[in-house]
Parts: sequence; C-alpha cells; structure tokens
Amino acid sequence: MTTTLFYIFSTVTILSSFFVVFSSNPVHSVLFLIFSFFNVAVIFLLSDAEFIAMTLVIVYVGAVAVLFLFVVMMLNINEVLVKEGFLKYFPLGLLLMSVFLTELIVVFKDLEFIRGNNSGISISNLLDQGQENTKSIGLFLYTDFFIIFQISGYLLLVAMIGAIVLAYDNQLSVKSQSILKQKQVKKDDIIKLK
Amino acid sequence: MTSANYLILSSIIFSIGFLGIFINRKNIISILMSIELMLLATNINFVGFSNTLDDLFGQIFALFVLVVAAAEAAIGLAILTIFFKKSGSISIDTINKLKG
Repeated sequence: MTTTLFYIFSTVTILSSFFVVFSSNPVHSVLFLIFSFFNVAVIFLLSDAEFIAMTLVIVYVGAVAVLFLFVVMMLNINEVLVKEGFLKYFPLGLLLMSVFLTELIVVFKDLEFIRGNNSGISISNLLDQGQENTKSIGLFLYTDFFIIFQISGYLLLVAMIGAIVLAYDNQLSVKSQSILKQKQVKKDDIIKLK
Repeated sequence: MTSANYLILSSIIFSIGFLGIFINRKNIISILMSIELMLLATNINFVGFSNTLDDLFGQIFALFVLVVAAAEAAIGLAILTIFFKKSGSISIDTINKLKG
C-alpha cells in the first residue's frame, strides 16, 4: 500500500517538475513548483518524517513560493522573449541530462545499504521509548546540534538584512529625515536679519 | 520503499532541475526555480536515507538544507528585483556588467 502510494506521488512529482521547467508562463511554473512541493511533502509523510513534511509545506509553499509569485507578478515579463533560445540550448541540455541520469540510475539500481546507526540516533529506538518524530528531532536539535542550529539562525538573520538592504532604495521623491544634515544646520542658515 | 526508490526519484528530479538551468536562458526566475527543485531532490535523499538507514540525523540535516534554500531564494530574488529596476530585463545575456 505504502509503496503504491509512493509510486503514485513520485510520478505526479516528476510530471509537475517537468511542467515547472517547460511551461512558458512563469506564473504557471511557480504554481507547478508549489504542487510538486506538496507531493514531496506527502512522500515525506509516507517515510515517517512528519515534521520535515509540515516544515516543507510551511517554509516552501508558505514563504518561498509566495515570494517567487510576488516577484513574478511584479516584474511583468514578456512571455515570447522568455522562450527565446529554447531550441538552441535544448539538444545539448537533453544530451547532458540523459547521460547524467543514465549514469546515476545504473549506479543506484542495485545499490544495497546496510542498516546501521552511523550517528547513533536510531529512530526505532526512539519510537520504542515513546518519542514521536517531532519530539525526537527537538531532543537532538537543541542539544547535540545546538551550534549548527545557532549558525543557521545567524544565516537567516544575515539573509534577511541582506535582502532588506538590497531591495531598499532611497528615492528622491520620498522625504526622509537625515540626522547628519539636521545636526550640521547653523543658526545663520535659517534666520536671516535684514 | 527501498533506498533505490528514493535515489532514483531524487536523481530524476535533480536532472530535471539541471535541464531547466540549461534551457531557460532568458529567465533568471526559472533558473532560481530549477535550483529549488535541485535542493528538493537533495532533501528527498536525506529523508529517504533517514528512513532506510533508521537514523534521525538525515531529517535534522534536511532542516538545515531548508534554511539554506530559504536564505538563497530571498537573496536571489532581491538581487533580481534590483537588477530588473536597473536594466529592464531579466535575461542572462544582459548580465555582463561584471565582465572585466
């Protein structure tokens, strides 16, 4: 049952990723991207990773994809120009993609992995102790991986400040207060006795 | 599901993203979306191996991949908007100002 569902949802994911790449309207592209994120979230649910599945829906569909949609609608892109050069690069891209994909599938087809705990955090042991998925991620994220967790928080802070600084423009039409200029004003500049 | 299922699914999605970078030369937004697809493929690998190897570390690492993907999308789209304001197009062919 789980395997059948996995095949169904992975087929839909692959089809919608194809439409992300090939559709000529960027808005349709973003919507297919959202659809493929939803399908991958279901695949994560089938793999007993509930927390990552819900985080994927919240972060990607709720934040990243909406950001993409905003930018696509803001930019007013010419649809005809977008597909220019499609035929020029398509044969080379298809050739490289098929070589890459064939190599990967030939390697991965008969690969066997031995079940073993390389990091020592076994999911089945945690389940036996009565810890659910979210709870066990929290148990390890805030203790063993605390430094990496803090660093990723700083990365998000830097990205936020960077995006604000990049997107902010001081237009001349907007009146804003310049503290440096205010401090440098002398009495003679304002009051004149005649 | 065996690990081969996850590996083949993620390699197919990764290759589609790879092809998207090649064919969408006039549209940087499509290239950013292809990069998101490739990061999604790596996340499928991490979660799939976390399931097949019975190891929680894959799921924790997938969270950090999500953080990096979100930061990358925010910065990339901010650069894209100011570039569109300056030059009026988002084609890669017009981005040659940094050429020495």
